[in-house]
Amino acid sequence: MQHLTIPEAIAGTISVALLLVQLALLRSLVLAELITLYAAQSLFVAFISLAVGITEREWDLIALAMLTFVAKVIVLPAYMRRLSRDISTRVEIPERINVTLSLILAAAIMGVAILTAGALPLKTGEFLPQADLATTLAIVFVGFLVAILRPNALAQVIAFLTIENGLYFGTVTLAPGLPFVVGILLLVDVLIAVVVFAVLVRTLVSQEASASVDVLQRLSG
Amino acid sequence: MSLLDGFIVGIPAAAAIASLVLASRHSRPLTACAGLATAACIVVAVLQTSDRSGDHDALSALFLLPIAIVYGAVGLYAHWYVIAESPDGAAGERYRREFLALTNAFALVEVIVPLVTNVAGMWVALEATTVVAALLVRLQGTAAALEAAWKYILIASCGLALGLVAVIVLYAAGARVLGMHYSPEWSSYVHDARQLDPDGVRLAFIFALIGFGTKMGLAPMHTWLPDAHGAGPTPTSAMLSGVVLSDAAYVILRFAAIADAALGPAIAQRMFIGVGLLSLFVAAFFLLQQRDIKRMLAYSSIEHMGVVAVGLGFGAPLAIAGALLHVVNHSASKSLAFFAAGRMAARYETREIAGIRGSVDALPISGPLFVAASLSLAGLPPFGIFRSELMILTAGFGSPAWIVAAFVVVLLVIAFAGITRWVTATTVGDAPESIERGEHGTLPIVGMGLGFCVVLGLGLGVPPALQTLIADASSLFGTSR
Repeated sequence: MQHLTIPEAIAGTISVALLLVQLALLRSLVLAELITLYAAQSLFVAFISLAVGITEREWDLIALAMLTFVAKVIVLPAYMRRLSRDISTRVEIPERINVTLSLILAAAIMGVAILTAGALPLKTGEFLPQADLATTLAIVFVGFLVAILRPNALAQVIAFLTIENGLYFGTVTLAPGLPFVVGILLLVDVLIAVVVFAVLVRTLVSQEASASVDVLQRLSG
Repeated sequence: MSLLDGFIVGIPAAAAIASLVLASRHSRPLTACAGLATAACIVVAVLQTSDRSGDHDALSALFLLPIAIVYGAVGLYAHWYVIAESPDGAAGERYRREFLALTNAFALVEVIVPLVTNVAGMWVALEATTVVAALLVRLQGTAAALEAAWKYILIASCGLALGLVAVIVLYAAGARVLGMHYSPEWSSYVHDARQLDPDGVRLAFIFALIGFGTKMGLAPMHTWLPDAHGAGPTPTSAMLSGVVLSDAAYVILRFAAIADAALGPAIAQRMFIGVGLLSLFVAAFFLLQQRDIKRMLAYSSIEHMGVVAVGLGFGAPLAIAGALLHVVNHSASKSLAFFAAGRMAARYETREIAGIRGSVDALPISGPLFVAASLSLAGLPPFGIFRSELMILTAGFGSPAWIVAAFVVVLLVIAFAGITRWVTATTVGDAPESIERGEHGTLPIVGMGLGFCVVLGLGLGVPPALQTLIADASSLFGTSR
């Protein structure tokens, strides 16, 4: 029987926590709750960056964990809360897709992600740990589902941010040696993308008096 | 970074900052000069690379050319465009400043993609093009522009998320030979390709094709493209179609070179043919039913990216050379077509094809240039696209996948019918009496004239330096190491 090391046990526990938060995004219809869930998920990824950094003695990852904590647990959620004050507080959901059905779909997608990663003939635990790859893919795919099923501009921004959290988890667990400067660039990129998203959300609210993206269906063909 | 690279990056960066600070009457000529100066520096870099004295490899240098062609002309075109399309009063000056600063910033991030030598840096630069382009697309402030910008940033960012998965998986696949800590230089991956984890490389290529294929406009991930190209300002449409698509193609090609070297060429070739044929199919049928002149050009971009993918899929040296040349030809022809279509849309105050009649009569230079660019896009001689499509199809018919080449011919004929139908409808005959005759502005005409020289010139003959570059770049593909 193979025993887990402490870092593996931490990574496994955080993987489960990340996936549960991702599922909870589909359960909640209140924007404030979505922002809190995003902050919680960001706290988990900052923690795993710190844990991997300490166990591997990677100072880059420890520094990135600090920056992630400041940017994604404090600054971005505060900015999103300010933005959400200008728009409706509840997230609309499309007809025929209720919360239960959304969760079933998400669970199915997670299952597909886990089975896909498990079915790949990868060398388990050596260079590409399958469980971490499965978690990364599951977070990314469920993030796509949130963006599709929640036609609210801010909810879609949060979906984008949780996808980025999944990618950050993948970077830390699958490619911990990726240069520090790349990690910083990824973080800066996300911050800039959020500012651009915010510009578009404000324009949408001023034009349509709503943050529903259902109105954005004029262009076709 | 060499001094020349410093100029290639520094000129658009300085122009972007200056455009924010200066009044638009100063930044308009400044942007025109910045575009031409950057183009000149890129031409020098390309010539150095072709005689093996430069710092770049052939593929990097080749993919700098679309930026030289498009940014060089955009600066001249924008000199007229920002005045013609901006609102009156203080809002107009704000629009012009924002537009010029973002256009120069867009050129900056576009030029960084082929200059960066590591895979993660390429991803960051490509994501930056999404962010800047979304701001440009929304600039006109209409509901359509907002919708296009929102869809663009959301879909492209989701696609690029999968692109980042590709970068992460490739990094993990390289850890066996390159160690746990290394800079993900694409040259290291190619050099040590046979020792990379093969399953990781295969997985990375699949994610790269889907993720960066979204940015390249390959079907079925193309849905953002017609909206963004149609609703954005005309110079932005030209830069999106002429440069961003080729930047994304460049990143995919880097992953393909690694996959070819690690796994042999068959896997990448099969996937290229699949997405290429699907893109051609989607584009050909949508081209038949377009009502908007810029959306028509957008679907033509999907068609040509499909041609590039199929050319890479055929795998023969002639086909790969044709695909690489096609990227350059497409950039020149498509930017010229967008410029001319933008002049027509401004004159007729509509992008609806039904509302544009007799544009050759109303715009005696832009109208004929639109006809020439469109015929080039339709694949007629003596223009460059005819040459590169002929190279790809000749190689295709000589390969075991000749049936694919036959399908491509059928789809190109359908696309040809679509394009010529709408071009005839908008250009032939007399313009309505209410439409003013003649051209406004000299610089946009000069910009379009330079573009036309490239479109025609590449059809009449490929310069020796470009031939060398394409031959060197082609050697990266199709062989395992």
